[in-house]
Formats: sequence, C-alpha cells, structure tokens
Amino acid sequence: MSECRKENLVHFAVTIISKDRPGIVADTTEVLFRLGCNIEDSSCTMLGGDFAMILIVSHAKPFLKAQLADEFRSLHGLTGLTVQVRHLTEDEICPVRDGGELCIISVYGSDRPGIVYRVTRALADRRVNITDLNTRLIGSREEPVYVLMLEAVLPAGLAVEDAEGLLEKLKKELNVEISVRAITPVSL
Amino acid sequence: MAVRNILLYPSPLLKTVCSPVDPADPAFQYLVGDLIDTMRDGPGSVGVAAPQIGVTLRACVVDVSSSRQGKESNHGLLVMLNPEITERSGAAVMREGCMSVPDYTGDVERATEIRVRFIDGDGVPHEIMASGFEAVAIQHEMDHLDGILFLDRISSLKTGLFRRKNYR
Repeated sequence: MSECRKENLVHFAVTIISKDRPGIVADTTEVLFRLGCNIEDSSCTMLGGDFAMILIVSHAKPFLKAQLADEFRSLHGLTGLTVQVRHLTEDEICPVRDGGELCIISVYGSDRPGIVYRVTRALADRRVNITDLNTRLIGSREEPVYVLMLEAVLPAGLAVEDAEGLLEKLKKELNVEISVRAITPVSL
Repeated sequence: MAVRNILLYPSPLLKTVCSPVDPADPAFQYLVGDLIDTMRDGPGSVGVAAPQIGVTLRACVVDVSSSRQGKESNHGLLVMLNPEITERSGAAVMREGCMSVPDYTGDVERATEIRVRFIDGDGVPHEIMASGFEAVAIQHEMDHLDGILFLDRISSLKTGLFRRKNYR
C-alpha cells in the first residue's frame, strides 16, 4: 500500500474465526469477491483447532458496513463462523512506521502465568512498538514450555542493547530465557 | 553513461532469464557504466543487475564497501559479466528489500560464503571468494539474471512493509 489516501474508498476490519476445516478462506473470500471488496491486508492462521482470519478490506463508496455484515450472516448460519465487521476511520488505514531499530525478541521457559504480560508491559513502558507477536505452548504435558516471539520497533534513541537491558531482570523473575537481536533490512 | 530508471515488478523483463554477454562486444561498456551510475544513485543501493535497467544480459554490479554490514569484508566495486557461482556454503537469513519491489522486505536464506567466477568490465576473468553481506548481495543480483526476485525465495509475508528510511 504505497498510497494511503484513497478518498473514494471505505475500509473495514473483518475478523473471522471458525473451527478449522478446508475451505474457510475460499468460502469467506467468495463473499468479499461477490460484493466487490478488495482485501488490502490480511493475516490468517491456525490457532489451536480454530482458523482465525483478520482482513482489512475496502470497497468503493458508497458502501455500508451493514451490507457486508448481512452477507456474512448468511454464511454464518451455514458454517458456524464467527464474523465481526468494524468500520475503519481514515487514520487507521495508513500504517505508522516511525521509530528506530527493528528487532526480534524471543522469550521461552517453563510455562507460568504472566510471561506475555510482564514482557510486553516492560516494552510498552519504554514506548517499544510491537509489530508482530506469536506464542506457543510446547514441551511435554509434565513440563510445558512457553515460547513467545515478537518483532518490535524500538523508539528513536533506544538501542538493541538497551532493550536487552530492559528485559534483563525479567529473566530471573520469570525464570525464562530472553534474547533480543537486531534485524537490519538491507536494500539491494 | 547515465543513471537509468529502475524497472519495477510487474515488468516482464524482471522475470526473464538473461542471455550471456559477449565480452568482445564494446557495447557492453555503456551497460557497465550505466549499472554503476544507477547503483551509485540509488539510496543505500549496493548492487544493480542489468534487467533492472531493462537490459536482459547477464551483467551486474555490486559494491558493499560503504554499507554498514559490508564494510568489513568486501572486494570494493565488482563488475560481473556472466557470473557463475561454483561453490556455496553456510546459510543465514537476512531481511532483504529490492529496488524493483518497493516498500517491501522479506526474510531470505542464502549461502554465507560463495566462490564466484566472472569476467570484469575489462574482459578479465576472475574467481573470488565472497562472504557475509557481499555474498548475499551477489546472490541477490545474480538471481535477477535468472528472472528470480526475492519474493520467489521468502516463505512468509507476515513481516514486511517497511519504508526505505528504515533500510541500511
């Protein structure tokens, strides 16, 4: 999306969750295609036994949220999907890309409550902006291991070493391993 | 010699397997000059391949000597005609962007060390060992000669849209 201002377009965030089965993406995007919606951005993945989809869709004006929601409602009845549609305001459409270094932070250790909360709170307090986050419970039933991987943009002035220092004391408190590494995109 | 426009995907020239250069043909000197000028002109650019400026010949230039990741280990300006990788080893992932695919970056795994054979701008054959960022840059530019973009090599789109100012 190199051009963000699309004045003749209306944007919606569509969230779809369903028990996983083949065909969820085809069924739901068929609805969007028939209505003339464009999928501008999306992230869809399996979570547990569900398939979860988050889509940013656009449609030429005039177009109402109700038209989209109604169309999905018919699908909902047929296949047991949960669908939510939210209208997006102008300032929600353009991604904000300010800031400094980009880094990947990985956290893992014996499962316990509060790992995600404590790590992300420490980052939020220093204005570190998370751009991607995934968690997974691995290991054995007797010894479950929690893994958190996130990608974040550090605020200008905060170095990767600073971010590492910021999380240092959480290693002991939560008894987890934490590593921070810089990603430097290269232009070729 | 001139700075040429960088073609953007979906130009079909970027998906073309390029033909070998005839080093005896003096015309390729213009091509080499244009490749160098175009690379020097690009913001933070460390390489350009001939198809990116609309010439489907097996020629590219690479120079990582002034980049942060490449300044430790490099061969300076490399003019590479008919390059061929004869050995590769190691593997590392780097987040790459490409002037022909603007506003997008993706994680690509490439060999960390390569032996590459090529003819330089004066028609002299060379064989060098390149490593680190220089090896990545050479592999990226050489992919262009086979019509391969980094989009053909990434396994996930989820990381992505970062503007040029975040590069380097």
